[in-house]
Amino acid sequence: MIPAEAGSQNELYQAAAKVYGAALERLARAYEADADLRRDLLQEIHVALWRSFSVFDGRCSLRTWVYRVAHNAGASHVLRQRRTHQHELVGLEQLENLPDENSGEQTAGRRHALDRLLSLIQRLNPIDRHVILSYLEGLDAAAISEITGLSAANVATKTHRIKNMLARQFQQGGSGRD
Amino acid sequence: MTEQQDSMQMLWQNQPVEGIQISAETIEKRAARFEGRIRWRNVREYVASLIAAALLGYFTVISHDVLSRVVFGLFIASLAWVVVQLHRRGSSKSMPTGLDTRSSLRWYRAELERQRAAVLSVWSWYLIPMAPGFVVDTVGKAIQSPHPATWARLLLMDAFGAAAFLLVWKINVRAARCLGRMIDELKTAE
Repeated sequence: MIPAEAGSQNELYQAAAKVYGAALERLARAYEADADLRRDLLQEIHVALWRSFSVFDGRCSLRTWVYRVAHNAGASHVLRQRRTHQHELVGLEQLENLPDENSGEQTAGRRHALDRLLSLIQRLNPIDRHVILSYLEGLDAAAISEITGLSAANVATKTHRIKNMLARQFQQGGSGRD
Repeated sequence: MTEQQDSMQMLWQNQPVEGIQISAETIEKRAARFEGRIRWRNVREYVASLIAAALLGYFTVISHDVLSRVVFGLFIASLAWVVVQLHRRGSSKSMPTGLDTRSSLRWYRAELERQRAAVLSVWSWYLIPMAPGFVVDTVGKAIQSPHPATWARLLLMDAFGAAAFLLVWKINVRAARCLGRMIDELKTAE
């Protein structure tokens, strides 16, 4: 874990990058499908994180801070892209109503399941995307509530919906077990 | 279902990552580029206005008749007004760091609403303030040279001016519609 006491901007950033580097890569993948743009976004997230540590005051945990800054950089990227690419972002409720593409056939494997999961996530609006990513990263409801600013009850409802939606979309054993 | 949920989390967390390391040098370079972009964005707004004001000022000085000086003076005053309004209404702001998702979306929506208000009211702070210069120029020249040929030329020039104003207004209305769609989407997401 990252030491809670305030370090220098560089020390805090380096510690955060070491602990959350992989999570940030996964997060960038959920915000940008194109490999080149994703690499650029990842750099943007790291820069936002490094800059943010100049004003980090320790009022929330470092994990919450890192996820907040990273998600906001990702959401800003998506909203910027929206000005030029008019694909529609949807909420969880719309994804819940999507036809189950998987019914009646086995998912080819882990890669296919991951691609499908990413394509579902990349269609979500920013707040639902934050919730599902935080859930997939294994964060509990309290942490998700702190990161997103949603009430605990709202997070619980959204998480319940996410679980149902994922269960329905990835039934028939296509969740990644080869 | 629990097994399903756990497997989804496992699938997500165990996906291969490249382990990309971003060097301190890259970060500092990009941060500097970011700061530079912000600075340039702010400066850019004023440079074009300063060039236009300098040109108008030059024409005011070299003009020999009072009417031209009054017209150029009015355009300079309009330009100054527009620059102030552009700064007040249209300049971009940076999002405060470390906001939670909901607050950041609200902040972003408020920014878009501010920008939409600015483009929707473009006629009041950009187009109308330019009008006195054109009106004084037209009326003054029509009085100075009361010939139908002059009036026709003035009318033609004003028609072009009005068409340009209409185009600017239409472009802004379209921009406002685009911003409105994004605002509605953000409202739904909240």
